[in-house]
Amino acid sequence: MTPQVRSTPELPLVVKMRTRGLSVFYGEKQAVHEVDLEVGVNQVLALIGPSGCGKSTFLRSLNRMNDTVDGVRVLGEVDLDGRPIYGPDVDPVVVRRHVGMVFQRSNPFPKSIFDNVAYGLRIAGMRDKAELALRVEKALRHAALWDEVKDRLFESGLGLSGGQQQRLCIARALAVEPEVLLMDEPASALDPIATARLEDLISELRAELTIVIVTHNMQQAARVSQRTAFFYMGKLVEVGETQRMFTRPKEQATEDYISGRFG
Amino acid sequence: MMNRRTTLALFALLALGTLGACARKSSDSKPGEPQATSISVKGSDTMVILGQRWAEAYMKQSAGSTIQIAGGGSGTGIAALINGSTDVCQASRPLKEKEKAEVKAKRNADAIETRVALDALAVYVNAASALKELSLPQLAKIYTGETTNWKDVGGPDHAIVLYGRENNSGTYSYFKEHVLGNKDFAAATQTLAGTSAVANAVKGDAFGIGYGGIAYLEGVHAIAIKKDDASVAIMPSLATAQDGSYPLSRFLLFVTAGQPTGLAKSFQDWVLSPAGQSMIESVGYYPLPKG
Amino acid sequence: MSDAASSKSSGAARTLDLRRRPRRFERIAEAAIVAVALLSIVSVALILVFVGKEALPVLYSSVVHEEVTPLAMILPREINGHAAYLWQPVSEIPKYNIVPLFLGSLKVTVVALLFAVPTSVAAAVYCAEYASSRMREFLKPAIELMAGVPSVVAGFFALVVLASWIQRAFGTEHRLNAMVAGLGLAFATCPVIFSVSEDALRAVPQSYRTAALALGSTPTQALLRVILPAALPGIGAGVMLGFGRAIGETLIVVLASGNAALVDLNLGHSTRTVTATIAQELGEVVVGSAHYHVLFALGALLFLVTFVVNVITERALHRSRQSLSGSK
Repeated sequence: MTPQVRSTPELPLVVKMRTRGLSVFYGEKQAVHEVDLEVGVNQVLALIGPSGCGKSTFLRSLNRMNDTVDGVRVLGEVDLDGRPIYGPDVDPVVVRRHVGMVFQRSNPFPKSIFDNVAYGLRIAGMRDKAELALRVEKALRHAALWDEVKDRLFESGLGLSGGQQQRLCIARALAVEPEVLLMDEPASALDPIATARLEDLISELRAELTIVIVTHNMQQAARVSQRTAFFYMGKLVEVGETQRMFTRPKEQATEDYISGRFG
Repeated sequence: MMNRRTTLALFALLALGTLGACARKSSDSKPGEPQATSISVKGSDTMVILGQRWAEAYMKQSAGSTIQIAGGGSGTGIAALINGSTDVCQASRPLKEKEKAEVKAKRNADAIETRVALDALAVYVNAASALKELSLPQLAKIYTGETTNWKDVGGPDHAIVLYGRENNSGTYSYFKEHVLGNKDFAAATQTLAGTSAVANAVKGDAFGIGYGGIAYLEGVHAIAIKKDDASVAIMPSLATAQDGSYPLSRFLLFVTAGQPTGLAKSFQDWVLSPAGQSMIESVGYYPLPKG
Repeated sequence: MSDAASSKSSGAARTLDLRRRPRRFERIAEAAIVAVALLSIVSVALILVFVGKEALPVLYSSVVHEEVTPLAMILPREINGHAAYLWQPVSEIPKYNIVPLFLGSLKVTVVALLFAVPTSVAAAVYCAEYASSRMREFLKPAIELMAGVPSVVAGFFALVVLASWIQRAFGTEHRLNAMVAGLGLAFATCPVIFSVSEDALRAVPQSYRTAALALGSTPTQALLRVILPAALPGIGAGVMLGFGRAIGETLIVVLASGNAALVDLNLGHSTRTVTATIAQELGEVVVGSAHYHVLFALGALLFLVTFVVNVITERALHRSRQSLSGSK
């Protein structure tokens, strides 16, 4: 079943993250089956597939968020820049500072906009106020939120609109300058205008970091990603350049899913 | 102790609620009307147990009559007498002029005090203390806060810890009047609810001093009292209380509004009879001197 | 789709009866609930009216003013050349200074909260954040059961056991003192603060914790910087409840404080609280006397103090809740 990823002529891939034989179990139930996948640097990789196909679970194992859930077991290897993040002496807290995450529902802290963005910097030990202010501004600009909030940095982040809140969460994740950003259906709770802005933002961010995004929206995957991986029943069915995946999928299952015949 | 007090308070409430009507009827009863079969007796905590023993024995030999005994303190009993919510008040001190006037004003009858037993108010210290005697002036200085160290009265160099009764207690008023000469207690006096609480506190405090009825002497020891610095020290006992040589002996009283009538009168008469008087010593107090 | 379409067309074929239904039961139920709610409000109001009615003569009654004026209840009295605050209601010259009583209430309440707040919040954090679900299922009801311990029992424990421990540990001058009473009160206060704080902590959305962890927080950082601050209004409400419980508690302080009306800040000294004074003296007073009205005034003032403290903190909590949620 493992697809022949490298057999088709594709552009050479500079690998940022790589999984080998990655399996994830919830207790006895296996949610992800021996996935081999590479994430190219400065690319957006879209993970698609029907609900419950294991793509979100897979995503969460890329920054060891699965460790925070009771009863989850991860087998196989995940490398970041060639270094195993599940190694025995690896601190998952440090991994998460390099691999940031944005969730399906925006979840700003009940703090001011400024404190939300500064959170990751402060817990990493940054005390210098001037530097904090600079980094917060930079992250907010990056997340295309600065102009909308610069006059109310010290009001609660929960007072923002849904789309703004999601961009605030992105700014919060960007502030610690991660190398990889994982996004779990970041636009699923947003209206079409906010979604469009978010997609633009993702395309801009690609210049500076590597992004893995889970989405249910085929058009979105097609618009923002360079590569797409199709998951089905916990297995990686096919992965390749997005354009090719959407025009000439190799597997029948991929074609059925993309064309809306199931899922 | 508190739980005893609480029970008593509840009891008093019950008595008030259920017997209020009967009580009022009984005090207003005219000759010829059928005798009230129920009365309420309320007041001094010192006298609660004594009163209960009397009531039990009396009710046994005079079937059909009910006597409710409640505590709360002499002041509480006197207040109840003034308010008309009790027939007989048990008091461990005589009424003040002001109280007598209030009884007269509200109940339209003179307050009648009847001596029913004798109590020797003991002053006690921790069982480990070597102190044997104090004079009344020394005691007054200690309790008004003038003397604060045991070494000034022949004890060790340590602060005196004062224990006393709440200000609704007859014992409090008696002590204040007869020992302190009506001066105020020192503010540092720790006031406890009930004589046994005071005795308990002194039992647990090597430098404590307390006072209370002679019946409560567990774990503490009573000291001999001198009337003044020149006189002989006297220990509290039946003999010294009855002959009046112990300076802190006092009469325990029944107080009624007007002469007692009906059940209240027969109960009081019985208490004063040899049968009633013979029970007193088993509770820890002394019968009235004969004659 | 076809199902919905067919039901829609058959519905349109019938004549729709959209008239109002009587729903008598609804109205009876609603009226009953309103009546019960009103009853409880009215009874609280009646208690207030009664206490106020008995307390107000302190301000105007000549019977009261023969013995004490409102000013004399607060200002010190000259005794042998130095100022003293005295509570000696049964005396040749009755003295009704309420300063020692309120100071006493304050002392024991502060001791109780200083002890109860950290321990119960820590217990709540342990229960909500660290304990396994089985441990939690045992621990929470166990601690909440403490609230059901009658205060006589707690007071008796403080009187007999705690007092001796504390005197041995700190060498306090008085065996029964503000510290003993305060710790006894803490026993009654802890379950209240614990229970409300634990609920507040568990009400913090899981997404905050996830977000904090995803940003590279250690679990402790997530707790201290995100979860605790988010639960703070709830914890504050718990502390308020605890404050009310502590300052209003009577039996424990009657038993364990020694009841001497002293004016000092020494926790090793005996102390007398407002509640203990009312409880012990109200049974004795002649209705309508100065002493009687002063005791009611004490009760009214105590109510006023707790009411004001409650209003102030409720406002602060409301503001912090608003700033947390971002609404204006």
